[in-house]
Amino acid sequence: MSMTETTLLTMPLLTHEMGSLDKPGWRVKGYAGAKLEEKDIEEARSWGERLGVQDHERLVELLRGSPLDADGKDEVRRWSSRYAVRLLESAGLDVVYDGEQQRSEMYAWAVAHANGFEDRGSVRAFDNKYYTKASVTGPISLRVPYHNDEFGFLQSVARAELKVPITGAYTIADWSFDEHYFQDGGQIGSSDRRTRRKEARRQFILDVARNLIRPNLDALIGLGARWLQIDEPAGSTGQDELDMFVESFNESVEGLDSVFSTHLCFSDYNLFFPAIEGMTGCKQFAVGFANYDSRELGVSDEARPGYEVISKFRDLPYEPILGLGVLDIHTDFVEPPELVRDRILYAVDVFGDPNRIHVTPDCGLRTRSWEVAYAKLQNMVEGVQLAKKSLSL
Amino acid sequence: MLSGLPFPTDKRFEMTRIGAYQHGIYPRSEAVVAATRGLERKRTTPEEVRDRFREDEEDIIRVQKQAGLDFFSDGLLRWQDIFRPLVEASRGMEARTLVRWFDNNSFYRAPEISDSPALEGELPEAFQEAVGLPEPRVATLPSPYLFSRAAHTKGDRNELMLDLARNVLRPVVDALRGQGYRVIHLQEPWLGYFGLEPGADQALAEALQEIREGAGGAAEIVLHVYFGDAGPHAGFLRSLPVDAVGIDFVATDLDSLGTGWEVGILAGCLDGRSSLVESLEDTAAFARRVAEKLQPPALYLSSNCELEFLPRDVARQKVLRLGEAARSVKESLR
Repeated sequence: MSMTETTLLTMPLLTHEMGSLDKPGWRVKGYAGAKLEEKDIEEARSWGERLGVQDHERLVELLRGSPLDADGKDEVRRWSSRYAVRLLESAGLDVVYDGEQQRSEMYAWAVAHANGFEDRGSVRAFDNKYYTKASVTGPISLRVPYHNDEFGFLQSVARAELKVPITGAYTIADWSFDEHYFQDGGQIGSSDRRTRRKEARRQFILDVARNLIRPNLDALIGLGARWLQIDEPAGSTGQDELDMFVESFNESVEGLDSVFSTHLCFSDYNLFFPAIEGMTGCKQFAVGFANYDSRELGVSDEARPGYEVISKFRDLPYEPILGLGVLDIHTDFVEPPELVRDRILYAVDVFGDPNRIHVTPDCGLRTRSWEVAYAKLQNMVEGVQLAKKSLSL
Repeated sequence: MLSGLPFPTDKRFEMTRIGAYQHGIYPRSEAVVAATRGLERKRTTPEEVRDRFREDEEDIIRVQKQAGLDFFSDGLLRWQDIFRPLVEASRGMEARTLVRWFDNNSFYRAPEISDSPALEGELPEAFQEAVGLPEPRVATLPSPYLFSRAAHTKGDRNELMLDLARNVLRPVVDALRGQGYRVIHLQEPWLGYFGLEPGADQALAEALQEIREGAGGAAEIVLHVYFGDAGPHAGFLRSLPVDAVGIDFVATDLDSLGTGWEVGILAGCLDGRSSLVESLEDTAAFARRVAEKLQPPALYLSSNCELEFLPRDVARQKVLRLGEAARSVKESLR
């Protein structure tokens, strides 16, 4: 058992982030080669001071020389990464990463480093939020391990334990069009076509797992990564494809030496059962619940409607930890520590074991400003302290 | 049935009229994507966003004209989801929790019901943007069954369905009647994806009748079942008080629908979730098979679902292909 696994299994109510943070204006504009305004530079200066980022004056100096050349752009990305780590550490989290500051976006970054994909354009996810969708057009393979540089950098920066978020195979396949595996679909309006489409889909998903995700995980483990979080926001998208989702997770991680967890969000989580009984290599499920919950205080079933499903995670035969989403990432409402506390106490009561509960935001906080994200995370940590006190931990 | 619509009369398949239109939310251009993103980050102005939307609206009209479609849609480009303008224009409900839109990487804000919902004022603002939209027009609305099931409520969902039909959807249809709308397209993916709840059949029929009365014979009502197999529901669907039933032929076997349909058919024969553009020959041949097999009084060609899951340029190609296919079918049946 590795050190991280020991930590995971013995630290009750461990706190961690869930992936992305917003990219500050100075990061976006600096990397885009734009001339920065004084307010952007002031943002870098004030957050650097607030978070105690060592030598942040060097960043301010760099930004004053915008527009940046190629070296300057790389520098600004690393500074952004450094700032995000400090924000998460400063909020008091036990396990951190860098808010994915060095990546373009969780899906686009992965397919940009893979062979076999071509961008097709923007598609809306909701409201005014979009993602760039690619199509698989040829055999899939890893062009270059795409998290190694950032992970190597973060090993030298982070004071807290690191957990690497990695977009999972099912999500990458689900968020892509297929112009390779199912080209000659035959006539629509026939069940035969649907059968062939499903077979093609399975091949596509498993090829992503075997030829893209697994070698990337392997490379990170080689660098010393000890906790790898497979992000699968699309996990329950296809009710009739949960077997493929589970198979893709297993194909990605089986036999590799690390702690593996999975992040699920914005789904009807009931759909995952019983399929995920087969995901025995998953030590923790980090799941977003706060989005579905009330804001009332209390630890009764009525007060906590968003957490109704958690007993199903409790009853999984391999007894995974539940990463309990307690922050709604789609609103600027800052959850009071008492609300976080009650969500935790409810979950601990259902599980009967605080060692099987970790505390997290529902999902990445990239749609919130740093001000709001920081306030939410600080309150989350304070809520954990209140829960620990209440539980005499 | 309406008369005087721009359809050729089919001689080979009794009286099947052939037409084509594009329903549902249409994707936004990269320019609108950039502008709306920029507005949220305070990097652009509302005027800039409005101008980019206007360009997109002009573009979708141009594409529909070029395709030769029979009814014009404004593409619902400013709609944040299929419920939002209706929810925002009504009392008794608000848009809140983000929920996955069936099996897509796309989300809607579920209407949160707090009281009996009712439209306030006249037409929601979203319809007032359609000033330059040519006639005849098609409007897309959520079906009352979808609306009542997607909403979050502690009340009886069949009663909610009737409330929504009477007090939200019908007032909208009433108002659209005088504005050149000849087709009211009701999206019904809930029935396709989850099926029909026991005991909901009668309430759905009543709700649809309410909406149909609102149309007053000036517009056809099309109930479009998609994201699922319509075959098991064929008997029920053809008994409903609508002018046409939409079928998702990506998910439905033509052979499962029987023959001799008494109501029209909207054939969802272009895949709104695939970036591959269907061949003209296959699409037109399939549409002819539908006409031959089902012999409906009217056959509309369209996509199997809304096109907003596609990048705009791919969607545009599909709309053009839709027009080509409809033209081919019309010509071959003359």
